[in-house]
Amino acid sequence: MTWVTWRQYRNQGALAAALLAALTVVLLITGLHAAQVWHSALAGCMKHNSCGNLSLSNTAFTTLVAATSAVPLLAGMFWGAPMVAHELETGTNQFAWTQSVTRRHWLAVRTGWLLLAAAVLAGAVSALVTWWMGPDHALNADAFKTNRFDITGIAPVGYAIFAMALGICAGMLLRRTVPALAVTLAGFAGIRELFALWLRLHYMTPVTVYYTLTAPFTPKGSYLAVSQGIVGPNGQPPVGTGNNYVFNGEPIPAVCQTAIQHPASIASCMAAHGYRGYLTYQPASRFWAFQGIETGIFVVLAAVLLGVTFWVLKRRDA
Amino acid sequence: MTPVIETSGLTKRYRRVTALSDCTVSVPEGRISALVGPNGAGKTTLLRLLAGLAAPTAGRAAVLGAAPRQDPAYLAEIGFLAQEIPLYRRLTAQDHIGIGAHLNPRWNGESVRDRLAGLKIPLDRPAGTLSGGQRAQLALALTLAKRPRLLLLDEPLAALDPLARRDFLAALAEAAAGGDLTIVLSSHLIADIERVCDHLILLAGSRVQLCGDTETLLAEHRILAGPRKDTTAIARAHVIVREDTTARQTTLLVRLNGPVIDPAWAVEEPDLEEIVLGYMGQDEAGHGAGHGEARLSAVGEDR
Amino acid sequence: MIRFRVNGRSAVPPYQQIAQQVRQALRMGVLTVGDQLPSVREVVAATAVNPNTVLKAYRDLEREGLVEPRAGHGTFVRALPPGPPPGTHSRLGRALAAWVRQARAAGLEDEAIESLLRVTLQAPAEEDIA
Repeated sequence: MTWVTWRQYRNQGALAAALLAALTVVLLITGLHAAQVWHSALAGCMKHNSCGNLSLSNTAFTTLVAATSAVPLLAGMFWGAPMVAHELETGTNQFAWTQSVTRRHWLAVRTGWLLLAAAVLAGAVSALVTWWMGPDHALNADAFKTNRFDITGIAPVGYAIFAMALGICAGMLLRRTVPALAVTLAGFAGIRELFALWLRLHYMTPVTVYYTLTAPFTPKGSYLAVSQGIVGPNGQPPVGTGNNYVFNGEPIPAVCQTAIQHPASIASCMAAHGYRGYLTYQPASRFWAFQGIETGIFVVLAAVLLGVTFWVLKRRDA
Repeated sequence: MTPVIETSGLTKRYRRVTALSDCTVSVPEGRISALVGPNGAGKTTLLRLLAGLAAPTAGRAAVLGAAPRQDPAYLAEIGFLAQEIPLYRRLTAQDHIGIGAHLNPRWNGESVRDRLAGLKIPLDRPAGTLSGGQRAQLALALTLAKRPRLLLLDEPLAALDPLARRDFLAALAEAAAGGDLTIVLSSHLIADIERVCDHLILLAGSRVQLCGDTETLLAEHRILAGPRKDTTAIARAHVIVREDTTARQTTLLVRLNGPVIDPAWAVEEPDLEEIVLGYMGQDEAGHGAGHGEARLSAVGEDR
Repeated sequence: MIRFRVNGRSAVPPYQQIAQQVRQALRMGVLTVGDQLPSVREVVAATAVNPNTVLKAYRDLEREGLVEPRAGHGTFVRALPPGPPPGTHSRLGRALAAWVRQARAAGLEDEAIESLLRVTLQAPAEEDIA
């Protein structure tokens, strides 16, 4: 059955390998170049103590790198969704399931190898991207941010396994490739959004820090902001007077309206009246814990979907 | 000797449709059985139930002595060829032989290569580029190479021209010449397969109308023709399957329970097609045209 | 080697057609004592009939004493059917062909010829003596 899986997916495997190779070449070349620029710029600014003003420009390839977040989804759509659906659609399952292997064995071996392939592919891309973004992370410290978190580390492996399981399950239930593709796309996008924008913020209880408005607080390293703002002595956000002036995104209270003429003094005015800033965040030290948690959740979701798939396989007519 | 196929009250219902109803048949070992009936009669459903591709709603089926189940040793004994000739369109004949070799314990790949060479079918072209007849021959060769004890074929002649049909039937008959292969093939045309089959199952209206060795069926049925008259005497002695009356003449298809004594009837032996058509003429409740009592479920059991 | 032809539309059952063709081949001298009949597999491959049909034909011929099976080797001709030697058949066959040509030239359709033949076969024997 391993040979059969190989024979059926030989061409797609070759295509994926070729695309991976191309991506590797592009990222290696641009990454090495960027690293070289980075290191010499770093050496230069250290001499003049001007490292606060460094910037990187790499926009074209940053788009390409950001696009690698689609890799798990593509695997799920083009390897996962058709895996069962195409056979059911064309009737070839009537050939496959009347050889001398059980349906279960047929599905298990195919699923196993394709999941592995997707995981390896996503892992390789993620490793490349993580390496490539070294200078960017060092400079901007935003590895924990959404859209960065999702394409580095081990999370893409979890996403790939989930996308595959989603595609396979959709194919099994819907029996047609195109609807299964659509469901995989919508389902994957929806679940990922749900996690990236909301659930991820709360894997562990976030840390909240209050700080004086005149001495803004920035956590060390790449942290994940959950919420931020200003509270007054009564614990409530400041209430403005209806004009459009804001300080740090919050309205300016009536008592400091006069300070608007001199924006630099707004902070000290508000601080003098008991207003403080706060930041609720996940510290940088939790980055890998969160990677592990999210990957684990997606793998569990995948296991549930695969369980459903095998159950339907057993209960339904061919 | 246990029959290779034995079903009892086999029923398959889908949400709104009953595909097969109370089906009781028996196929002895070594037979080449024709499964005939009009389109939609339930032939494909019956074959899929026997192959284990679908599960019955009610009733039992015993194939090679046991209910169809997911077990590699058992699956190895049964070959199934669906009507659509489901091959992988992008894989070559050679690939399919490879798949068979890896998924079957008793695979005879040489036989496929020999047969395809004899029919001049290329081994290295994608199956989707072969003609309908070539695909059917390839699919049959692959099914035979599995060396099953039972072969189930769903309308295998549908896509074939007359020459290809002949080749196909000859290949089937040759495979059965060894004696340890039982074949059931379905068709909605009896004339096609009459000479190769020695057993018949007739399905109509999702029910079994006839089941038995063709020799027995031919011996048991007669066509009685005569001037128009009362048929009660005949109905008492035999079973009237179908009655056709014109103003002047009465023609009966009859299943005999003894000799026909009344000299007013001209007695002729029908061929298989006439018998089948006679039973197919019944409505769903099993009543002959214009006559009450010809309901049969397991006619012609040869025990 | 004899080549069988089975006519699916004939009123004669296939097994009888095969047996008849063997007997005819023996009368015509196409087959003679000691010759091997085609195997069941070969006949089936050529005519697409059920193997049991061929077996039945061969069994009938065996019962008539014309053929005998030899274990492991096949079925062989054992004796010729009663009647005049093969040469007579060929001679009469040629005479018949000539007569048929005459009949057709005279304007008889095949159906009329068959009718004539049947009537003649059924007529009492003494009328044949010239």
